[in-house]
Amino acid sequence: MKPARFALARPRDLETALSLLAEAGEAGKIMAGGQSLGPMLNLRLVEPELVIDIAGIEELRRFGHEGDRLVIGACITHADIEDGRVPDIGDGVLARVASGIAYRAVRNRGTLGGSLAHADPAADWLTTLMALDAMVEVASKAARRRVPLGSFVTGALATALEPGELITALHVPAIAKGARFGFVKHCRKVGEFAHAMSAVVIDPERDRLRAVTGAIDAPPLVIEDAHALLGKTRSSGSVRRFDPGIVDAAFQTAGIEDAVDRHVHATVLRRAIENAWPVMPDRSRRQAA
Amino acid sequence: MSVVLASRPHARRARLTVNGDTVEADIEPRTHLADFVRDDLHLTGTHLGCEHGVCGACTILLDGEPARSCLTFAAACDGADVVTIEGLDDDAVAAELRAAFTREHALQCGFCTPGMLVAARDLVLRLSEPDERRVRLGLSGNLCRCTGYAGIVRAVMAVIADRQARGETAGGHEASRMLGPVGAHCPSVEDVPASLHAVSGPESAAGTKAPPIPVDGTFSPAHRFRQTFTVAFPPEDVFALFGEVEAVAACLPGAFVEHLPAPDRIVGGLRVQLGPIRASFRGQAVIERDEAARTGRILGAGADAGGRSATQGEIRYAVTPDETTGTTSVTLDVGYTLKGPLAQFGRPGLVRDIASRLTSSFAGNLEARLAGAPATRNDVPSGLNPARLLFSLAFDRLMRGWRRLIGRDGPRS
Repeated sequence: MKPARFALARPRDLETALSLLAEAGEAGKIMAGGQSLGPMLNLRLVEPELVIDIAGIEELRRFGHEGDRLVIGACITHADIEDGRVPDIGDGVLARVASGIAYRAVRNRGTLGGSLAHADPAADWLTTLMALDAMVEVASKAARRRVPLGSFVTGALATALEPGELITALHVPAIAKGARFGFVKHCRKVGEFAHAMSAVVIDPERDRLRAVTGAIDAPPLVIEDAHALLGKTRSSGSVRRFDPGIVDAAFQTAGIEDAVDRHVHATVLRRAIENAWPVMPDRSRRQAA
Repeated sequence: MSVVLASRPHARRARLTVNGDTVEADIEPRTHLADFVRDDLHLTGTHLGCEHGVCGACTILLDGEPARSCLTFAAACDGADVVTIEGLDDDAVAAELRAAFTREHALQCGFCTPGMLVAARDLVLRLSEPDERRVRLGLSGNLCRCTGYAGIVRAVMAVIADRQARGETAGGHEASRMLGPVGAHCPSVEDVPASLHAVSGPESAAGTKAPPIPVDGTFSPAHRFRQTFTVAFPPEDVFALFGEVEAVAACLPGAFVEHLPAPDRIVGGLRVQLGPIRASFRGQAVIERDEAARTGRILGAGADAGGRSATQGEIRYAVTPDETTGTTSVTLDVGYTLKGPLAQFGRPGLVRDIASRLTSSFAGNLEARLAGAPATRNDVPSGLNPARLLFSLAFDRLMRGWRRLIGRDGPRS
């Protein structure tokens, strides 16, 4: 199908974009790469009066560092991260996720900020960046603020963005030395939206194991201390301790009703942990050495 | 060569380079790049399949990189360099690929071929060795219904191997490219419409008058789920309030009652929001109540403006005392069927997520009302919007996990 008629604004700077957004109110819709909004416009599920195209705004296409955080502009694309035009937070963590998003032709235009603003529960960045404890920087005409991603996403396709606000950047903390990252998603066909997805960050130094399960019909589920999922003794790096019963109960509490879905999500979570675990330094051996 | 196209209403002027020619045109904002090159420039080699980014038939080069021309609006490409399949006639890699496609029988009907060649060319330029897995992954965004991909994969691998043997290195062509979406350039002048009202936008939700569609008493819902919540008031008060249609509607974000043609009939509707999707459903509902059992059933049907999407649903509610805490427990059994474009969203789980958010806001408003506070008519606070769902089920309804709507393999931005 073709989109319903809309007006297009292509502001050159953020201030103009924010003024337009404030003025347009509910009739306005921000578009960056248009890879999520485009289909919705074409199918006339979304019929804004004004589309504000922010993809050309230089300020949103930059990256930088703030302490040990990487600050990525909202209009940086998946392909920019995949190709390493933007530095990674450690060991190809972001590049690996980026390279698995949809298809190359989509990654060349789809943006990090657009993906998060759209807040599809099955989006790769949502789950990944929640596991990495990222923060979203948003701006309105009146102010700028930073929101932890965990509280930014309020539901499926719903965010804490107030009217007049747009995402300007993401703040992603560097992965701690020695920490490992695991990411696994399950799709029937490469590039489609995932049916199950998990990201884990294992930090042996701080004895932390944070896991996030996405692609559920709600905001991604954050398990702050995922050690509990592994039973009490988790020595020697073995994942045999992974207890599907505990995970199943956690998913049930989170409202995943279908037993098969829970099984798939649990399997993907286990694989994400396994996927990170083997490269984790064995603490006892290292101490002995 | 330079082409100047005639002016059109609401159009934005843009200047693009298309296959090496400068094209300056007034382009309607809703025209995507594929329609622009096909309809206005008669470059019909770019094919359109799904028009939501899944099939890859429309893949072209934007600033030298593959992009979906069905998801890229031409007016937003001011300053961009566009190369369609016609522009690859003299491209060395494309020429090698064409020969290999012919040799390997890598096409049959040819519909996917232009997009396939653009994607294949990109793989040839990025992969330094003929790795079949990566080639197959790289072609996954281009659907071919004829060949089973065997010949296509062989063709692409052969070209990569030939180039490798000749010492032509892959990779690096993208290293110097500008950050951000390909084709998106900062406009040379502020490009902002003079007036929003110059555009005939969609009708506002309030002004829509879909004809009420009849309620079918024999309907059997396609999807069902249950919601429960607790209210700190006696069950008789809660059940009595459920009998007041306007009070219930006032507690439900987005719901509106137009009139009550009979004590057991409602004509009204619901404004629904799911992410960027906004819809207003209007219809009618029939109410049944069992005073003795403190249960009820609301059966409704509705359609959105223009009647493109329609829904039918029922809510069975039961009000029961919770002896231990002295509160009242309300159980809602919801069943619904959705038809039309919104039904393509088909994710019942998303509806449940929305329903649970709706239920909690509904329960809060109900409690406030029972406590004597006038329920706020929360007309559209953004966070809770998706809410309306619940009632929508009662009466109308819609919504959905839109991924399906984009066929699930949809792209994301």
